[in-house]
Amino acid sequence: MVSYFPVLVFAALAVGIAVAMLVGPWLLATFKRDKVKTSAYECGFEAFDTARRTFDVRFYLVAILFIVFDLEVAFLFPWAMALEQFGWVGFVSMMVFLGVLTIGFVYEWKKGALEWE
Amino acid sequence: MLADILFLAFATAIILGAGTVVLARNPMVGVLGLVFTFLNAAGLFILLQAEFLGLLLIMVYVGAIAVMFLFVLMTIDIDFVKLREGMAAYLPLGAVVMLALLAELLLAAYAAPISGVGNPIGEGADTSAAALGALLFTDYNLPFQMAGLVLLTAMVGAIVLTHRRRSDVKRQNIAKQVLRKPEDSMTLTQPKVGGGVTASHWEPQTVEEK
Amino acid sequence: MFYSITLTHILTLSSVLLVLGLVGIVLNRRNIIAILMCLELILLSANINLVATSHFRADLAGHIFTFFILTVAAAELAIGLAIVTLFFRNRGDIEIDSADRMRG
Repeated sequence: MVSYFPVLVFAALAVGIAVAMLVGPWLLATFKRDKVKTSAYECGFEAFDTARRTFDVRFYLVAILFIVFDLEVAFLFPWAMALEQFGWVGFVSMMVFLGVLTIGFVYEWKKGALEWE
Repeated sequence: MLADILFLAFATAIILGAGTVVLARNPMVGVLGLVFTFLNAAGLFILLQAEFLGLLLIMVYVGAIAVMFLFVLMTIDIDFVKLREGMAAYLPLGAVVMLALLAELLLAAYAAPISGVGNPIGEGADTSAAALGALLFTDYNLPFQMAGLVLLTAMVGAIVLTHRRRSDVKRQNIAKQVLRKPEDSMTLTQPKVGGGVTASHWEPQTVEEK
Repeated sequence: MFYSITLTHILTLSSVLLVLGLVGIVLNRRNIIAILMCLELILLSANINLVATSHFRADLAGHIFTFFILTVAAAELAIGLAIVTLFFRNRGDIEIDSADRMRG
């Protein structure tokens, strides 16, 4: 339990910095807006606009593919940690697992789901 | 003693976060409540010496699942307040049923002694990712492969459901580009002086896509 | 390491969480996204149960199953939210009551 003390310090520090970043500009900064400052940077969103403007659905497909590969990485951690404990069987089983997910990856690539059209 | 206080703190936070999810007027607030719940559940897992799972909970739920909820909330444009109309209509019956269920669950948890719980994991016991891996890739190899298939299904299913090819966009076909030869696109002629070139033998190729 | 907390206390927590998730499904029964969030709460209560039992029995099997539940939750959510986006694209809302065209 004591070994988690650094995490507590880290969390406190993170909260402190976040609060400082929120409160600091409010106390110190000057707000002088002009047309150029509030215009969208390159192709981004408008700086002062409703936050509930809808995204394109294509972002969602990227998020789904991310979640699947996130889980894949989650399975890789214990595998990498314990690799010398189970030898070839575990190695081959992980290769099969990765192969199965590679099938999905090839499918999405061929289907054009990764293209930004 | 410290562990007890921490458990109570985490438990309270989990219940509060879950309450936010259930009662949130704005679904964005609901997602943030979900994140709060899962952060505290991760703390509880670490307290129960499931350190790797706790961190995994943060990685998967906060890092991926909550983000996906936010994405979906951002891609659809819905008046969520309208969806809450008639919310109280099922509340009385629902409350009775749910309270009965809770009473049953608590009765089951408190009535009978649960066997085999006398020896909790010791302070220095190995519950690391390595210990988990040693079990996962030997005894639970087949379920692991099943998990891979489940993930494959999710990936393929999501693509089939949400991906559509737009026909109004021009796409780059790299193979076609690479395989293109000079003979296909240009001709060399030797025109007579003053004769000019007639383009009768050359037609512009229609570029067919798909 | 726990002084007076036993498995029963943690089971109480997960029972309350389960019932909260079910109440959420009943209350937000028209909003698919809220229902999916409540499903995550229910899965979390199962996870807490497994991890707690694993801790008090000194057996790592519960951790493994939590791992699989995480996987299944992610897959379920990917498909579920894909259906929600598709439903919204076809119908213009996400109200469950309007998903009634499959009547025989």
